[in-house]
Amino acid sequence: MHEQSLFASVPVHQHHELLQQLAGLTAMQPRHCLERRLIFKAYRKPGMAGRTGASQDLQQADLQRLNKMLNGNMYYTQVVGPVSESDFGSTAPVDGDTQMAGTDDSKPNVSSSSYDYERQPWKLEFRDIPEAGTRSAVTSRLMSSATLPRGDIVQAMNAWGYNFTTEYVVEGDMFIHNDIAIFLHRVLHYPGGDGSNLPRRQLPPLKDMTLFEKSGSYVLQAYIIVQDGSNQETMKTASQHLFGLREQLKSAVVLEQADRLSLDTRAK
Amino acid sequence: MADSFTLPLRPIPEKRERPDTLPVEIAQINNQWGSFREVNEDVLRNKIAEEEEKDGLDEVDESDQDATDLDSTERLEQLYKRRAEITQFAMQAHMETMFALDFVSLLLSKQAPRQAETSMSAFLKQVAPLGSLNAEVVNPPPKPESTIKDISAVSRGWRIQNFNAAANKLLQAASRLETEVASETRYWNEVLAVKDKGWKISRLPRERQSLGVQYGFLEATPVFRNRGLASLRRAEDGALLLDEGLIPSKARFVRVRVIQDGKLSGRSRPTRSTFNGNATIEDRILQARDTVYEEELFHELVREARAIASFGVTTRQNLIQIPASDNLEILLDLVDTDEDTSQPEHDISQQGTSLADGLAHTIRILLAYAHRQNLRRRTMLPLPLTPKTRPVPEHQLIRPALAYIKHMSDVRWLQSLLKDLFGVLQSAGLKPPAYTARVFSTKRQKQTSSAPVVETLIGQFLTPLLSTFHGKLLTPRGSFSIAIHTNLSSTPFGTTFDVSFNMPKYPDLESPGKLSQREEVEAAINHLLLLDVVFTISSNSGSLKSESDKDQAKGSWEAIYPQHGELLIPSSKSESRKKMKIALSRHELSVEIYSVRCIDGTGRGNWEKPSSHSMPHIWKPSPIAGSPNQPSLMDFVSAAVSR
Repeated sequence: MHEQSLFASVPVHQHHELLQQLAGLTAMQPRHCLERRLIFKAYRKPGMAGRTGASQDLQQADLQRLNKMLNGNMYYTQVVGPVSESDFGSTAPVDGDTQMAGTDDSKPNVSSSSYDYERQPWKLEFRDIPEAGTRSAVTSRLMSSATLPRGDIVQAMNAWGYNFTTEYVVEGDMFIHNDIAIFLHRVLHYPGGDGSNLPRRQLPPLKDMTLFEKSGSYVLQAYIIVQDGSNQETMKTASQHLFGLREQLKSAVVLEQADRLSLDTRAK
Repeated sequence: MADSFTLPLRPIPEKRERPDTLPVEIAQINNQWGSFREVNEDVLRNKIAEEEEKDGLDEVDESDQDATDLDSTERLEQLYKRRAEITQFAMQAHMETMFALDFVSLLLSKQAPRQAETSMSAFLKQVAPLGSLNAEVVNPPPKPESTIKDISAVSRGWRIQNFNAAANKLLQAASRLETEVASETRYWNEVLAVKDKGWKISRLPRERQSLGVQYGFLEATPVFRNRGLASLRRAEDGALLLDEGLIPSKARFVRVRVIQDGKLSGRSRPTRSTFNGNATIEDRILQARDTVYEEELFHELVREARAIASFGVTTRQNLIQIPASDNLEILLDLVDTDEDTSQPEHDISQQGTSLADGLAHTIRILLAYAHRQNLRRRTMLPLPLTPKTRPVPEHQLIRPALAYIKHMSDVRWLQSLLKDLFGVLQSAGLKPPAYTARVFSTKRQKQTSSAPVVETLIGQFLTPLLSTFHGKLLTPRGSFSIAIHTNLSSTPFGTTFDVSFNMPKYPDLESPGKLSQREEVEAAINHLLLLDVVFTISSNSGSLKSESDKDQAKGSWEAIYPQHGELLIPSSKSESRKKMKIALSRHELSVEIYSVRCIDGTGRGNWEKPSSHSMPHIWKPSPIAGSPNQPSLMDFVSAAVSR
């Protein structure tokens, strides 16, 4: 599948107004989204190492393809899990006395959140580096997504050759305009930096999350997913739709192609 | 401020410094008419006569012309001549104008050669070089005093006239603006009133300068969604007009008619009565909204009706015919609200009307539900773009209602069947345990989704309908259960009866499973109850035997062909045996006892010769409960044993 997208930066003071404009344009109420995003990095280059014999059963063409597959580029990939506001911890101060008593050490610091890490659904989202040298003025990249089992995903990802790198949270609002998904979002970091090398099992209070972009500005991403990227007709239709949206939003925001290298997902 | 300060626009009618004195006027008259001395009656009469004659001459001239009967060729000639004259004059005028133009152009060519060249004729350009004519202002000879005075007087008069005209125009414009402002104010007030009522007011997309009101449904089919916008025009006096474009402004609605046994037994009424003439703008908007909703409803109904043509639904241009169940037919059509009152009412029944009204409400609620589903679908993350367009599925409007009617009809049929059968059994003195019926026992789904309660409620209506009947049999631990599924939305369409038995006595008896015909179901249940009765008789007589030693010698009934309802008293002594044949239907239970002669009494066909024709004993459910003169089946059977 291919994803065609256009981006715009939205300063925080324009955010509210733009939400209203988008709600009017798409004739729907914004759907608020909160997503945990875990970044995994492919760590092993399996190649043909350790495989000394028994290759005579493979045809030459197959062998080449396999080699290409195994020795190709490696990518960062994201695991996305939707969460809700109630999953985040509340800001109620933890009772000092009970902590002092030290009777229940196992009790997590952040109390009274119903978040259950074991029930967290996940989705694997792969995005390639955007295609280079396309004539079209939209960012077009290969993408794929797959549903993953619920709960602790690190084990499974390790088995597939991915290391957990870091995680962050995306908050934003989703609009749908015909085929186009419009996602107005910003990135939040966990307080206290990347301490652990495992995904958090409990979420801190939402208001303790720090903004990645200090000014609090949002990113507007408008995208269309095309089933068959090799079909020029549909690819063209998709970009035409995006251009149509760009025209409609011209007076509010300027949607444009993103810098290709800033969307590089290759692991070096 | 505006009324405190008024600005006069007309020139002040100033007094002449020197009004025309009588001598001046006398001098003028003298000049014009000559001396007063020469004026006498004769002169005046002559003058009047002269003038009359002039007028009369004209008239005579005209009448002469009318009178002279010119023949057509002459007239034509004259016409051509006149035309030629006119052309000639025009040509001449044109020529003179061209000369004047050439002259002025030549004159100007000295000052502005480029500009003047464009208006010069080609001939002049050839003949005279540019700038060859010049004009200079020479000192004019001093004009006499009187001429200067005349000129100033004329220019003064001219200016005053112009001022007057300008003032008139300004005042006219002012009054026009005033009325315009008044009507604009009225218009905007009415627009605001409409907006305050909660209607969406916006600019028209194709006509940016005019306002429109959105009354349609955003989630409707695109054709009807676009029709949900009408422009708000302003009448001359500022009243608001709703301009719906090409739509007929007639109010229409989808009428539901119920035909029972070929007769009209009920029809639905329009939800909103039509207004007459003096409707407010909001009434008009509401009517337009209702009409667009009704038309969409009918459009969707036709679409769905075509999809379910396999159920016998037929569509014509403006009519949908649905054979619902047994002898019930439903007609749907789109009619004007003010129509259809003249039809005869004598066949209308309360039940039919309530069915029609219920159906009318159902399809409307379901369309609203479909709109909500459209919104839900529209705001989902879009599926990946593919070259082929996805077909829009038909909304479920008729199908759920039809399923409900069919289901209820099937349930009623089964209830009456069971009632009849159990009534027969009861009349025979058997005491069948009561059965339980759970109509619409579809499992309630837990409300896990975030959908509102209303949508969940209707969503349940769209799921396949299920009713279950459970009951115990006379046989210990025997039971039966019948589940009726009705599903018109997905395969398998229609109603299926899922019949299952549990008869411990006959372990190899298989439940018939899913049946779709009523006859099959009736046969299955009959069969089951027959087996039940046979088993009860044989076990009862067996128990009697064990209880009383007296009867032991006589033997007991044994079921030999339970599936045929046949029982036999085995007897080792004689060749003739007593055989009993039981038949059960929903009307009666009949028992026939006769002797057969064969070796084991199990033989059939030719060996089975009823020796003594005894009249079959019949039990029917009598209208009088518990007729005492009839022995119960059990008594009858035990009596037959002892005989």
